[in-house]
Amino acid sequence: MTENRDSEIRERLLWNVKKEVKCIMEEAVTRKFVHEESSSVTSLCGAVEACLLFGLKKRVLGLFKNTTSTALLQKVAKNFEPAADIAKIVTAQEIKMDESKKSVDNNKNHSKRPTLAYSSKYLWIRVALCQKVLDVILDHLVENANKYYEPHSLVADPCDGQVLASLLVGPCALDFTKMKTGDHYWTDPPADELVQRHRIHSSGNHHIRGPDSPKRPGLQVRRHTSSSSEEGMRMTPQSAKDYVESLHQNNRSTLLYGKNNVLVQPKEGIQALAGYLSLHQGNEGLTVKWTPNQLMNGCSKTEHTEEQDRRFCLSPNEMAPRSHRYLKKKGVLYWDYAVTVYMDEIVYLHCHQQPDTGGTIVLVGQDGVQRPPIHFPKGGHLLAFLSCLETGLLPHGQLDPPLWAQRGKGKVFPKLRRKVPAGRMKQDSLNTQAGSVESVNSMNGSIEEEEATDYVFRIITRFTPDLMPPEMLYPKAKSGLNFPDISIPWPFKTGFGKPSLNEIPMATVQSHTPVSPDSTTTIAKAVSNKVRPVYKVPKQLVSHRTSIRQLCDEMKRQIISRAFYGWLAHCRHLKTVRTHLSGLVQQTITSSTIPQDASEGLTEDLWQQFNKDGVVTDADEIYRLVYHGGCSHGIRSQVWPYLLGHYEFGSTQEARDSLDHELHTEYEVTMSEWMAVEAIVRQRDKEIMAANLAKLSSESTSDSSGKALPSPFMRKDSSLSNDVFMDSVDVDDHIVHHPCDTLIEETSSVTTTPSEQAPSERSIRTLPLEKTDSFDNQIITTNLTTKTLIKAVESPDEGLGDSKPCSKRDSCSLSSKHDTIESQHSLEVDQGMPLPEQEEFYTENDKEVQDMLMVKNIIITNPSVDSSDTEQLIGTETSANFLEHMEDALSVGDAGSHISASHDSIISPHTPGSPASHASNGGVYSAEFLEDVGLNLHRIDKDVQRCDRNYFYFTPENLDKLRNIMCTYVWKHLDIGYVQGMCDLVAPLLVLLDDESKTYSCFCEFMKRMSHNFPHGGAMDTHFANMRSLIQILDSELFEHMHQNGDYTHFYFCYRWFLLDFKRELIYDDVFSVWETIWSAKHVASANFVLFVALALVEYYRDIILDNNMDFTDIIKFFNEMAEKHNAKQVLKISRDLVYKLQKLIDNK
Amino acid sequence: MAKTYDYLFKLLLIGDSGVGKTCVLFRFSEDAFNSTFISTIGIDFKIRTIELEGKKIKLQIWDTAGQERFRTITTAYYRGAMGIMLVYDITNDKSFENIKNWIRNIEEHASSDVEKMILGNKCDMNDRRQVSKDKGEQLAISFGVKFMETSAKASINVEEAFLTLARDIKAKMDRKLDATGQNNKNQGQQLKKSDGKKRSGWKCQIL
Repeated sequence: MTENRDSEIRERLLWNVKKEVKCIMEEAVTRKFVHEESSSVTSLCGAVEACLLFGLKKRVLGLFKNTTSTALLQKVAKNFEPAADIAKIVTAQEIKMDESKKSVDNNKNHSKRPTLAYSSKYLWIRVALCQKVLDVILDHLVENANKYYEPHSLVADPCDGQVLASLLVGPCALDFTKMKTGDHYWTDPPADELVQRHRIHSSGNHHIRGPDSPKRPGLQVRRHTSSSSEEGMRMTPQSAKDYVESLHQNNRSTLLYGKNNVLVQPKEGIQALAGYLSLHQGNEGLTVKWTPNQLMNGCSKTEHTEEQDRRFCLSPNEMAPRSHRYLKKKGVLYWDYAVTVYMDEIVYLHCHQQPDTGGTIVLVGQDGVQRPPIHFPKGGHLLAFLSCLETGLLPHGQLDPPLWAQRGKGKVFPKLRRKVPAGRMKQDSLNTQAGSVESVNSMNGSIEEEEATDYVFRIITRFTPDLMPPEMLYPKAKSGLNFPDISIPWPFKTGFGKPSLNEIPMATVQSHTPVSPDSTTTIAKAVSNKVRPVYKVPKQLVSHRTSIRQLCDEMKRQIISRAFYGWLAHCRHLKTVRTHLSGLVQQTITSSTIPQDASEGLTEDLWQQFNKDGVVTDADEIYRLVYHGGCSHGIRSQVWPYLLGHYEFGSTQEARDSLDHELHTEYEVTMSEWMAVEAIVRQRDKEIMAANLAKLSSESTSDSSGKALPSPFMRKDSSLSNDVFMDSVDVDDHIVHHPCDTLIEETSSVTTTPSEQAPSERSIRTLPLEKTDSFDNQIITTNLTTKTLIKAVESPDEGLGDSKPCSKRDSCSLSSKHDTIESQHSLEVDQGMPLPEQEEFYTENDKEVQDMLMVKNIIITNPSVDSSDTEQLIGTETSANFLEHMEDALSVGDAGSHISASHDSIISPHTPGSPASHASNGGVYSAEFLEDVGLNLHRIDKDVQRCDRNYFYFTPENLDKLRNIMCTYVWKHLDIGYVQGMCDLVAPLLVLLDDESKTYSCFCEFMKRMSHNFPHGGAMDTHFANMRSLIQILDSELFEHMHQNGDYTHFYFCYRWFLLDFKRELIYDDVFSVWETIWSAKHVASANFVLFVALALVEYYRDIILDNNMDFTDIIKFFNEMAEKHNAKQVLKISRDLVYKLQKLIDNK
Repeated sequence: MAKTYDYLFKLLLIGDSGVGKTCVLFRFSEDAFNSTFISTIGIDFKIRTIELEGKKIKLQIWDTAGQERFRTITTAYYRGAMGIMLVYDITNDKSFENIKNWIRNIEEHASSDVEKMILGNKCDMNDRRQVSKDKGEQLAISFGVKFMETSAKASINVEEAFLTLARDIKAKMDRKLDATGQNNKNQGQQLKKSDGKKRSGWKCQIL
């Protein structure tokens, strides 16, 4: 007998440990880390402690009074080293705790820090677990069990002991973090947990659902629980969690009354069950809910419930149709018993008070059907409920007779001492006439009659023809279209048996003169004489007939007006939709099944069919297939260039090849351009770096920095200027000063060398792509060579049409001319010519100071070219004078040519369009330009280096490709420059196409749409505005929620989604399918498909957002944490459904 | 569920791109370092609850995109911030130079009494240092803010920096509360448990 009991205990102890281990491992997996003070750690420790204490040889070990296993550790520590280590740590911690406790006490701070108490529990087990030796110690204990344990104990059990030790291996392998306080977790549950909770709490058919949820108001007819009691009782839970939460105070309804352990007999032939009774006031009026305790406690598996389950199974027909995933076994039945009663369906309230058992309330509906009786426990709960109910009914309804207010005691029952059996019988017979009386109550009634005080209250709704509730007249914007469901109950109500029909108008008539509880004791007394017959007075009967007719007419009118207003609201709604949203989707709806089922998408076989002779023509069909079903991964690299517009549909293989070839060469040319500049920038950076290092060291060593740090306007040593790049070493703010003279000399010399001829040639090759200005520029630069001097003179005449480029060109060509001629008399021309030009330039740009500096800051492309000392010297001197003499227009001598030359370089950074012109510009760049390029390169490097390093594709080699593409694009779009996020957009394309120039071209196509989303474009705000309208129309409940919770209808949390086309939100495979869907959607359904994907993401989690009452910060956190965890397939499906829904809405004229 | 903190501080991390804002934040909130972070796009935040002088303080730390192009978006978050960490990279002189610009930015967009602090991150990479500690300190002094060199990678000073900032904010707040008097205490920044979005007007009339 005891053996059995022992083994039972062992089993239970072990089961507990298993459960806790499972919990903690799950936590570790879902959260990635477990906190030391997490409750699961504590409960695991508790379970282990219980195992260890069971059957411990206390006497033998001399541990008499100990109720913890700490003493055991001390014993074990003597022979086992790991245990000794743990014991040491434990002692140390205990001392520390005592100290801090003392200090806390000393500070008179009596609120003991909870963490201390927390961690002192099962301290050694906790420490051992965190030190990862708990399993080892337990192993030791099991091996030496005979020393410490009785034979019947768990540890000594040959089987269970081993199991226990091995169970703990898992938790001991975990890393526990001490980072956070325990409460951190439940105040801010991570997104994963929210999703998981939602999944667990919602039943099978309602897990995460799309926008077509039955919960949603708006265009759908809301399902109203019909008034029959049968339905009320068998309420299907939307989701268990929703339901349980709806029982508490929340923003949708106010809890007026709550009482636990209220007995209700939900079904015939079943014992009364204890449950939680609550009274709510919400939008739909007063609701009484009763929930079996089993549901409130989260369906715990107690023996008690199992027993009851067995009993419940006697009614098998109840079992069948439910399909809840989670609550399959037990909870399902209880859901059938949960009671929800809408008070506006209730006409009578029967009260039976029994001195020994508290009281019973029976609610009787307007159909005469009784709801299951509610048995309150003793102690005035019934009265409390009634008074809450009475308050809740106000202002539109009341109890009749009203409760009495008694000083000091609050509300009391009206003093109705005499019972009138006749009246009761009459009521009962009325109910029987109605044909649907449950026998329960009348039986109860007759039994209790002798002793109990029984009341019948009528619930009067102040519903009069003159005083219509405002919601009847003005259908709420939210539920503007749900008129049918409201219109149903009323005719239904009137169509009942005569007795009940008689009573409704009485109620309404009576309510004209509402009876206040205090003033009208007389009426209450009258009631007390005959429990309810006040209304049965014959003289009133005459007026009933007319009032019925009046009421019926009124109802008719209301139905019609309601229908009308509903229709009107619908029309307005549709108008808004059409005006604001019709542009977002295409008018024609493309079927997913015609001509063939597209759910499989574009498969390889289909692609082969389309691509038979190398010419793909049926664009529409391909778009349709990809939109509805995506594209097989194997053929993506072939299909994407078409989808992106890199290849044209209908092009031949040869055309495509030549296009690729052409783009490839162009790509290489562009690359060589920026690479040349990059070399300079690199060099410059190195120098700056060296300068900074030098500065650092000089700062720390001596004060000789005076010479090392000249002001920007200070002249440097001519010896220093020997090396072109040494100059910049001295420059404070990274601006390179360079003599203008050297510049000219060098450019002319450079251009003659064959190696430097290359850039200009290359740029000539790319000429057709350039704008005309750059064309001019190139001519000029080529003209800089002495060989083509004549041409240079001629070139100004070519394009005298427009003023600005022309004048620039003028000065340039002049300068080159002067440069080459280098004669004294040309100076006169010089003095005359460049000056006005210069002024013109300044006024145009309106930033003279900057330009002045720029004139000074010129650098040479070719670092390999050495210039002679003399030239340098001249240059140095002249440019030194240059600034000083700026006001005097010109310096003497050669200076003239320098100025005009510098104009050339001033102009170049301002030439709109292609930066390629700089490369061909004889290799002359302004410092500002180089600065710009350098900054962009720096940013690109930073981002490329950290772009998706976790993805297998991005090896250093492939990162270089990514960088090349990025730099080439930015080089071509220097006006925009690199903006963070561009890398993210290239990455998936590169992964898929794995070809630099093709990826580059596709990326350019892609950016035609995407670049507007970046801060310089205005598309983001449009997206946000459209999101707002869409969500308002398609999910008004969610919109309302967003609006009310700190109003985040600005949709900033979608920023990254739109900027990167969801690239960061999804894993690579999903990015592919979402992107191709977006691209083809443009031709099939909507050019703004991104909006619908974004909307689908919000909708996918709408219930979580609503249930957790998320505000802006919550939602940002949620979506950031959910990144790469979305179910893309489902999201895409929802997005297509949303498009379809909007199309239908617009179509529905 | 009731909030269990006494104060909620909203902090902001700003600085050039790639100086390690996200890493600093990750070190502080998760006590871990990850070298494979991608650039921050848009905005994110992390939460950590700390205890100061017996008060539980929930730090909500916003991490922003570094590139100045995104300033229009990030500055929207300046307004609610009570403390701002300006981060630069000691191996990148430019990011240090830009601290001035960031400060100017704060002056334009943040509330005037926001607590600031300058962090020179990546101090574990001393061999590639471009900005001396002295320089950092001097800059901080010139703006009248605190300064620390940190390393998210080596976990140097990160914790201390945030605690210092939080302490400063709390001290400032306490001073304010004292100034406004005891009776106005609840109007300060202290959050009551029922405060904020989760309304709970418990109306039950029975026990």
